[in-house]
Amino acid sequence: MLNITLGQYYPGNSFIHQLDPRTKILATLLLIVAVFLADAAVGYGILCAMVVLIVSVSGIPFMMVLKSVKPLLLIIVMTLMLHVFLGQGEHVLYQWKIFKVTEEGLQMGVKMSMRLILLLMISSILTFTTSPIVLTDGIESLLRPFRVIGVPAHELAMMMTIALRFIPTLMEETDRIIKAQTARGADFSGGNLLSRAKNMLPILVPLFISAFRRADDLAVAMEARCYRGGEGRTRMHELAYRSGDFVAFAFTFAMIGLLAFLRWGPSLF
Amino acid sequence: MDPVIDVQGLKHVYTDSDNNQVTALEQIDLQIMPGEFVAIIGANGSGKSTLARHFNALLLPTEGSVKINGMDTLEENNIWKIRQQVGMVFQNPDNQIVAAIVEEDVAFGPENIGVSTDEIRRRVDDALRIVDMEEYRTHAPHLLSGGQKQRIAIAGTLALGSECIVLDEPTAMLDPKGRSEILSTMKRLNKEKNITVVYITHFMKEAMQADRVIVMCRGRIMMQGAPKDIFSRVDELEKIGLEAPMAAKFAYELRKSGAKLPQGIITNEELATALQ
Repeated sequence: MLNITLGQYYPGNSFIHQLDPRTKILATLLLIVAVFLADAAVGYGILCAMVVLIVSVSGIPFMMVLKSVKPLLLIIVMTLMLHVFLGQGEHVLYQWKIFKVTEEGLQMGVKMSMRLILLLMISSILTFTTSPIVLTDGIESLLRPFRVIGVPAHELAMMMTIALRFIPTLMEETDRIIKAQTARGADFSGGNLLSRAKNMLPILVPLFISAFRRADDLAVAMEARCYRGGEGRTRMHELAYRSGDFVAFAFTFAMIGLLAFLRWGPSLF
Repeated sequence: MDPVIDVQGLKHVYTDSDNNQVTALEQIDLQIMPGEFVAIIGANGSGKSTLARHFNALLLPTEGSVKINGMDTLEENNIWKIRQQVGMVFQNPDNQIVAAIVEEDVAFGPENIGVSTDEIRRRVDDALRIVDMEEYRTHAPHLLSGGQKQRIAIAGTLALGSECIVLDEPTAMLDPKGRSEILSTMKRLNKEKNITVVYITHFMKEAMQADRVIVMCRGRIMMQGAPKDIFSRVDELEKIGLEAPMAAKFAYELRKSGAKLPQGIITNEELATALQ
């Protein structure tokens, strides 16, 4: 229970790990756009090659990145099935009563599920190579310009920092409460969904009370350490772009350019 | 020499959840000098924690005044300077650590007051070295022991530049090893860095090592003086629910039964010598 790792950060020292978090967040967003630009087999081929390249540079085991697709596997399979069996098209490959498999439907299905798989893999590379703490810094820094329109960038980042700090502590506490209740004869395992939900009550009530007490204590402690919001605050670790970040940006834009060309290029000539 | 903490006629009244006016502190007059190691003891509800929170303007006087290096806590503009000069360490080690990495947490204070990046780095390194926690700089706080977490909290006040550290029962939730770590760290800071220490505790053994002991009872200062004088008043301490150290009690009982023992015995060693 003590060694809870948050998120799925895979520690390392690769080129990708060392990139500025802002670079990684922006590049991830841009590459997601790139995925939507691809519409032919060549485009998907290039994207797959790119993901394999990035994963091998990052030093993360490829299977681990592939596994990040798992939570959405059902949706991916459903997407594929729906397109295959219900897709409209001219070239019927196989027909059974009202269900027919068309070439267009098959293509569309593969395309859509490829898209989902690529999206999941690209975004999981971000969380694999960036620790939640650094990610928080990156998000704060990227959101800062939007403060003028009322985005509470610092407050959001502070909330995330405190959440990261206290989730392990609260997990330990939950564990302790469960043990204490079990010792007094509570049974958390049996019963249907409803009775199991009811059983959670004696865990949740003390957990919430203690969380509020902690929040109170923490607020006093933060005030005692001169905390007064984000105004005039400095940081020990200032984020800074380095040469590697420019390489990463150049690569990202090259990818977008390439895929945009594959999509619209031929029709220009 | 001017006192670091100067309390004059302090009274603190608050409204409790049933809307009653409760007087938590009354007629407090107290001066704490630079470089002093002061222990505050008292039974539960005697007002020690309330008093501590007046020392860095977390609470403000209802009557009277609290001055930190001459700055009145009632003056709004002084608050941030006061909180820099008087650092606070609280009882629960978990609930005062803000960041998920040790060195980030130590940096929290100086970041709040806008210290430059290089200077923060320097202060954090110094502070972690002083409390002997350098090797844990990149650890996650929840994996540390209670004593280590409290040392991180002490480092946090040092990084803020505090010359006076108020500790509100810092060892109440620690095991014996953690307790001795904290006390020896504070004694060292007091001797080597000349840091003023206000140490609230209910462990008499810890209070015995202070320069001066202040005994609180029902929101008032009941007595204060050198540990020797305070702890030999065994019966008075017992009346307000405090237990004198074993040796002091022993000497007191023996004297009552007619043994010829000198006054002012509070440690085991003193008792042993007197009995030979």
